[in-house]
Amino acid sequence: MEGPGELWRRLLFLLGRGRFNREMEEEMRFHLESRAERNRAEGMDGDEANYAARRRFGNAPLLEEKSREAWGWSALDHLAQDVKFAVRSLGRNPFFVVVVVLTLAFGIGVNTAIFSAVNVLLLNPYPFPQPERILSVDARHISGKNSNTGYRDFLDWQQQNSVFDAMAISPETGGYTLTGQGEPQRMTGGATTADFLRVLGVQPVVGRFFTADEDKPGAAPVAVLTYATWRQRFNGDAAVVGRTMTLNGQAFTVIGVLPRGFAYPGIETCAFFTALGESSSNSRNQHQYGVVARLKAGVTVEQAQSDMNTIAQRLEREFPATNTGWGVKVQPTGAALAAETGRLVWVLFAAVGFVLLLACVNVSGLLLARASGRTKEIAIRSSLGAGRGRIVRQMLTETVLLSLSGGGVGILLAVWLMKVLRAAAPQELALDATLHLNSAVLAFTVAVSLLTGIAAGLAPAWSASGAEPNSILKEDGNSWSRARSRNRLMAWLVAGEVALSVILMAGAGLLVKSFALALDVDTGLRVEHVLTFALNLPGAKYSSDSGVSTFYRDLLERLKNSPGVEAAAGVMTLPMTGGVTGGAFQVEGRAKAPDWVDTLVQYNASTPGYFGTMGIPILRGRDFNEQDNEAGLPVAIVNDALARQYFPNEDPIRHRYRDDPAYGGQWRTIVGVAANIQHQQPTKPPMPGVYLPHAQWPANSMWITVRGRGDAAQLAETARTAVRGLDGDLPLLKIRTMREVVGDSLAESRLAASLLSGFAVFALLLAAIGIYGIVDYSVRQRRREMGIRMALGATYGDVVALVVRKGALPAVAGVVVGVPLALAGAGVIRAMLYGTSPRDLTVFLGVPALLLVVALGASYLPARRAAKVDSMAALRCE
Amino acid sequence: MLILRSLDRLGPMHGYGIALHIQQMSESVLQVEEGSLYPALQRMLIKGWVKAEWGQTENNRRARYYKLTPAGLRQLTEEVSEFTRVMEAITRVIEPA
Repeated sequence: MEGPGELWRRLLFLLGRGRFNREMEEEMRFHLESRAERNRAEGMDGDEANYAARRRFGNAPLLEEKSREAWGWSALDHLAQDVKFAVRSLGRNPFFVVVVVLTLAFGIGVNTAIFSAVNVLLLNPYPFPQPERILSVDARHISGKNSNTGYRDFLDWQQQNSVFDAMAISPETGGYTLTGQGEPQRMTGGATTADFLRVLGVQPVVGRFFTADEDKPGAAPVAVLTYATWRQRFNGDAAVVGRTMTLNGQAFTVIGVLPRGFAYPGIETCAFFTALGESSSNSRNQHQYGVVARLKAGVTVEQAQSDMNTIAQRLEREFPATNTGWGVKVQPTGAALAAETGRLVWVLFAAVGFVLLLACVNVSGLLLARASGRTKEIAIRSSLGAGRGRIVRQMLTETVLLSLSGGGVGILLAVWLMKVLRAAAPQELALDATLHLNSAVLAFTVAVSLLTGIAAGLAPAWSASGAEPNSILKEDGNSWSRARSRNRLMAWLVAGEVALSVILMAGAGLLVKSFALALDVDTGLRVEHVLTFALNLPGAKYSSDSGVSTFYRDLLERLKNSPGVEAAAGVMTLPMTGGVTGGAFQVEGRAKAPDWVDTLVQYNASTPGYFGTMGIPILRGRDFNEQDNEAGLPVAIVNDALARQYFPNEDPIRHRYRDDPAYGGQWRTIVGVAANIQHQQPTKPPMPGVYLPHAQWPANSMWITVRGRGDAAQLAETARTAVRGLDGDLPLLKIRTMREVVGDSLAESRLAASLLSGFAVFALLLAAIGIYGIVDYSVRQRRREMGIRMALGATYGDVVALVVRKGALPAVAGVVVGVPLALAGAGVIRAMLYGTSPRDLTVFLGVPALLLVVALGASYLPARRAAKVDSMAALRCE
Repeated sequence: MLILRSLDRLGPMHGYGIALHIQQMSESVLQVEEGSLYPALQRMLIKGWVKAEWGQTENNRRARYYKLTPAGLRQLTEEVSEFTRVMEAITRVIEPA
């Protein structure tokens, strides 16, 4: 029956507690004095009258407290008391506080940072309404391969489906050069179709998005700006609509601005969006576009899949030449991303979970040792009437206070770590825009801090509060049996700590080893002294194939004649940059394979001298030369993998094959075989591939590779001068040495390896501190015993051995438990390993050995101290 | 119930007065610790059955006087009727028929 009046009275009480206590005391005193007076009046003498009154009244302080508790605020009072007490008691031991807070800060900090990544990548991937309704729609071949979609198929899907609110081509990103506004500037733009914003479910904040009519070939070019571009380039001017931007020499009219925070992986670098302007006469088998769509309300992914299946079957019947074997796969977009990065993020999350657990165990050990120094204090408190629960709560308040401070410091660490993650994570993850400290991450930190405090403090508090106060106060404060039970708990903690360290360090060891192997893998390239950069000739200025060819020929000529340059060449797709152009491959005189997917090879184009510049040996035949141009005989060079696959028993030279119809279907004569190189990540096996002469298959964008004599980075200025001499408006993109290119392709494994090895070092440090602390504690407990042993003739060595065993035995137990768990854990990260077995012998022998050495070292220091004890002094001091 | 009844009969009283009254009325049959009166009075204050005010005693000492509120009176009536009902029931059961 808690009425509002009652609540009000309770609140008033809370404000006037001081007065309440005074009044209650006065009231009771009045009662006692009145009763004593009456007793005297009845004939008792003074003292007797007072005693009788008291007997009659009962336990006054207890009753006072009960009166106070009736108001229901006692929990708050106790908490305030506990906190005050905890601060005072911790203040007496600042070194202990620093060690514990830093340990917890690290544990909580790394968890916060990794959780922020989990939160962004796995829990909240898209900043759009109902992101789960945004699906990717891919063409899928019978063979099970997913692929992009031809534009005509896309149009049919868009018209014929009844399950999507909107369907669009996901933006094709491309480089644009902005001119006419000071220095020429490089920007990334995304070309998409009119319904793109409807798929994402957002509206422009200014103006509008383009329409289907503006997406036709030949329509006047329009651009929709991102919020950031609008603020930076146009100062957030609302009258931006109707202004023009010159991009690649073409005037684009600005028609709208997108809302803030408009980004998802893949398009986060786009500064604006334009119409794709694709011609509907485009063929069906040019599978070049990604498609995204928004599911209608009430339609399931399965229903969408079935509707799309029907459409795909219809298209197969109508266009057997191009669509036979092609189906459609509908799937959530978030899932595609999660599958790629999810494993890494979960592994890291598990690793930091172990780190936190380790920190907890360590702090538990330290608390336990500290509690042993407080047995008397606790015994006194409990004999004064504090219940076990009350004491546990008080000690937990202390640990929670510590863990919250640890959380506070941990957030600072987390903010720094997030910066590292943002810088190191692969670009496609778009962590730049999203990985920040936010309310969800803060809530996680607070929750983890509280839980950590309770988890770390519970065992020590329970063990410390369980003592029988009588025996402790009477004896010397550390009775033998209690010390024993605490020692057993400590041994468990050491074993747990070592087991956790084994798991973490083994995982880190495996990843570091595979990373080192991947760096050392022979890419088939000579990466030293090579500088690379990309150029993208604007189509408006370089509209003809011959213009492009001439530009690149002149540029390479200039570069070769520059001081310090040994060789220079161009290539369409630079190794290790992720981009691969695939296409069909058909050898003359052999039956055409039923499906081009099965004859997929990599297509690349290079200028003469490319193989020499990159140090790729020509195994047979010749490199391209200046005669392999538009006027010359169509030729190609194949790589060794292709030669072995298609010409296992003969020389491929002088054989003819036909290019993929999408690339013109030209018949070409093979003139050379080049050695395999690693084209994607160094850890993937080489694919069959062909190289065409750039002059016969020109493209506006190209990578330029320059080999010099000295430091590759110093070639950058030479390259800039050469480009500026030909075209002052053309920016050099992605200037890196080839060594950096190879290193960047391993960014993800590098990140995982460096984070995990950081955690592993921390684990080792914690294990060392933990073992040292615990052995040291037990030595202090047993000073008298050591004294007796030495008085009875034990040698220095005997005592050292005795103490070291104390730390070493649980460590061995920890290794025995940890190794099988680590082996199981290694299976989970198998896919992340390269050239390293998940049961790698070096790792699984090295890690336990290292931990045992550390355990022995950490036990030896206190052991030496114990053995140096002067036996008489030790016996006397008790 | 005893406290409420005392306040109802005699008007505002301090704690000691209530204790004395209960002792006299029950002719010392009900022997409880007198101090346990005070937590009980606090609970009634929370419920709003009584009000407390500081006043002067006959021999000029400061004391806290408790006064029955209308809500307290209702509570008393309710408790008394409930108690009487139970007593009557018990009486009927134990009386020889």
